[in-house]
Amino acid sequence: MFARAAYCSLVFFISSSIVAVLANLMEWNAAVRFFTVAMWISLPLYFVAALLSIDTGTLGWPGRIFTVGTFLFLAAFTAFAFLLVIADALYIDAAAVVEVARSPFIGKALQLSVVTSVATTALALLFAVPMGYALSRYAFPGRVLADTIVDIPIVFPPLVAGLTLLIFFCQTDLGTWIEENLGLEFVFQPKGIVLCQFVVSASFAIRSVKTAFDEVDQRLEKVALTLGYTQWGSFCHVSLPLAGRGVVAGAILTWARAFGIFGPLMIFVGSFRGKTEVLSTTIYLEQSVGNLEVALTVALLLISVAVVALLTIRLVGGRALVKL
Amino acid sequence: MIRTERVGFSVGQFRLEDVNLEIQAGEYFVLLGPPGSGKSVLLECLCGLNRVHHGRLLIGDRDVTDLEPRMRSVGYVPQDYALFPHWSVERNIACGLRARRASHDDIGRRTATVAEMLGIVHLLKRGIAGLSGGEKQRVALARALAIEPRVLLLDEPVSALDESMRERVCTELRQLQHELNITTIHVSHNLEEAFSVADRGAILQDGQFQQMGPLQELLRRPANEFVARFMRCQNIFTGRSVGPGPGGTTKVAVREAHFLVPGRWEGQVKFTVRPENIALMRADAVPENQLGVAIAMNHGRSVDLGAYVRVELLGPLPLVAHMPHRAFTSLKPNPQTDLLAVVHPESVHVLCEGRK
Repeated sequence: MFARAAYCSLVFFISSSIVAVLANLMEWNAAVRFFTVAMWISLPLYFVAALLSIDTGTLGWPGRIFTVGTFLFLAAFTAFAFLLVIADALYIDAAAVVEVARSPFIGKALQLSVVTSVATTALALLFAVPMGYALSRYAFPGRVLADTIVDIPIVFPPLVAGLTLLIFFCQTDLGTWIEENLGLEFVFQPKGIVLCQFVVSASFAIRSVKTAFDEVDQRLEKVALTLGYTQWGSFCHVSLPLAGRGVVAGAILTWARAFGIFGPLMIFVGSFRGKTEVLSTTIYLEQSVGNLEVALTVALLLISVAVVALLTIRLVGGRALVKL
Repeated sequence: MIRTERVGFSVGQFRLEDVNLEIQAGEYFVLLGPPGSGKSVLLECLCGLNRVHHGRLLIGDRDVTDLEPRMRSVGYVPQDYALFPHWSVERNIACGLRARRASHDDIGRRTATVAEMLGIVHLLKRGIAGLSGGEKQRVALARALAIEPRVLLLDEPVSALDESMRERVCTELRQLQHELNITTIHVSHNLEEAFSVADRGAILQDGQFQQMGPLQELLRRPANEFVARFMRCQNIFTGRSVGPGPGGTTKVAVREAHFLVPGRWEGQVKFTVRPENIALMRADAVPENQLGVAIAMNHGRSVDLGAYVRVELLGPLPLVAHMPHRAFTSLKPNPQTDLLAVVHPESVHVLCEGRK
C-alpha cells in the first residue's frame, strides 16, 4: 500500500513540476503558484510513503531508526538536486527557450558535445578494458605504481589538466613533433576536446573496469581454457560479459564527466563559436555577457540530454554485454 | 594413461617436488591429502593451468608438458564447479563444443546425449542461479564430458554436497567412469569418498607423495606415520625392542605393555595397530591359545557409530578399538569394566624401523 502511495506521489510531484515549468514559460502565474504548492506537498508525501514501504522485518525500533537515518540522507540529497534543477527551470522564460532553439551555434555546440563525449567514452573504454584486465590479473613489478598513476587524473584539478596539455603540445619537443609531423593538431582544435575529455575522464572507466574484473572469479576463465577457449576467447566470452556491469558503470562515469567538462577546454581548445564550443562553454559564454536565462536554458538542455543518456546506458548497456 | 615424471612446480612458499605418478588407461585414481597439500595444484598442472617448472607430463602417449590447456583433451571439474553464471545450463554444457567450433547439429546432439546420460535434460533451459548443489555438480560434469576428453580431472567434486548426496553421487561417478572407461583422477580429502570411487590412490603432503598404491594397502600398510594418521589409525606407538619373540616376531615394550611385532627389529620401533584389528574380551575370559598379546585395559568411553562401535580403552597406554555392534553388546561393558585387548602380530604394522 505504501509503495503504491509512494509511486502515486512521485508521479504527482514530477507532473506538478513539469506543469509548473510549462506554466512559467506561458507566464500563467496563478498556475505556477498552484503547481509549486502541489510540488511542495507531494515531495514530503513521497518520501514518507517510500520510507514506510521499506520492510525492516523483525529488526524492531532500532532497525526502523537506522533505516530512517540512512533514508533521510538519501532524501535530502536527491530532493536538493531535483529542486536545484526545478529552480533553474522556473527561472527561464519563453524568449530564452526560443533563442536557444533557433541559435545555430547552440545546436552545433550540442552536436559537438554529444559527438566528442561519445568518442571520448569509446576511446576510454578501448583503453580501460585491456588496462583494467591487466591491472586486475597480472602481478608485475611496479603494479602499485601503475595503479596509482591511473588515479592521478581523478585528483588533478581539471584546469591543471588543460594547462598541462597546453604546455605539452606547445612547449615540449615530443608535443610539437606530434602536432607538426603526425598531422594531429589538438591545440584550439575540435580533436583537442576529445583529448581533454579523455585525460580528465578515462581514469573513471579504468578504475571501474578493473574493479569489475577483480570481481570475476578467475576459475571461470581457467575452466574456459580447459574447455577449448583460447585466452582471447575466454576473455571475450567469459570475463568481459561477467564484468559487463562494471564496464557500463565505467562508461557512464566517463561519459558524464566528459559531457560536462568545462575548465580544461577553456584553456586547451578555447571556445570558438561554431568550432570548439560545447554546451558547457556555451553556458559560460552566455552568462559572461549577462544572458542568464539563455545560460540556464542551455544548462537544462545539457542536464536533459545527460539524464536520458544515462538512463539509456544503464538500462540497455548491461544486458547487451551479458549477451556476448 | 597419465604419467608425470619428476614434475616440479612452486607458487609462493609451496612446492611440488619431483612428482612421479602413473595412472593406467581407464583407471579411477584418487588423490588424497589434507587441505593445502598440493592436490589441486597438481591437478591444475595436469590441466595446463599451471606451467610446470621441470619434469614431463604425459597423457596417453602424448607429451603435454608445454601444451595449452585446450590442446590436452582433459575434462576438468573444479571445486565448487565454476559454472558460467551468465549462461543457461544448455549453453554451459555446449560451450566447450562451441569453442571447438563444432557444427550446430553436433553441438545439439552431443549436449542432448550428455544431458540424458546425467539425467539433467529437464534442466537444459534453466539458468545456473537456481540450481541445487547436486544439479550444479551434474552440469559441471556434463560440461566436462561434452568435449569427449581423454581424461577426467575432478577436484573435490562432491565436497559441496551434503552427506546423503555424496554417497549417491560417488556411486554414480564410479558407474559413469566404468561405462565410459575414461581415465579419471579424483581429488579428495575424505576417506569414505575415496574408497567408494577408487581402487588405487596416492597421499600427498606438502607437495610430496607419501605413498601410492591400492587403497587397501594404504589402509593396512601405511608407509609412515602421516599416512597412518591420514588413514585414521589412532593406535600409533613408539617402543623399544626387548628381544626376539615367538614365531619370528620381536617383543617391543611400550610403557608397561608389550607387543609382538612381526619380523626382527632392534632399537626403537614405531608401529601401528588398526582399531578394527584389536579384539576385546572380558578380563575373566581366557584368550585362545594362539600367538598374540593380551593387555589388561579399562573400558573408557564408547561411541556407537552405526556400522561399528568405537571403544576407547584406558590402561598402560591409550588404545582405540572398533568392534561390531553385536560383539560389543555381548561384552556388556560398563565404565571402568576390566577388559583384555588382544593384539596379534599380523595386526601390527611397523612404520619406522630400528635396525633389522
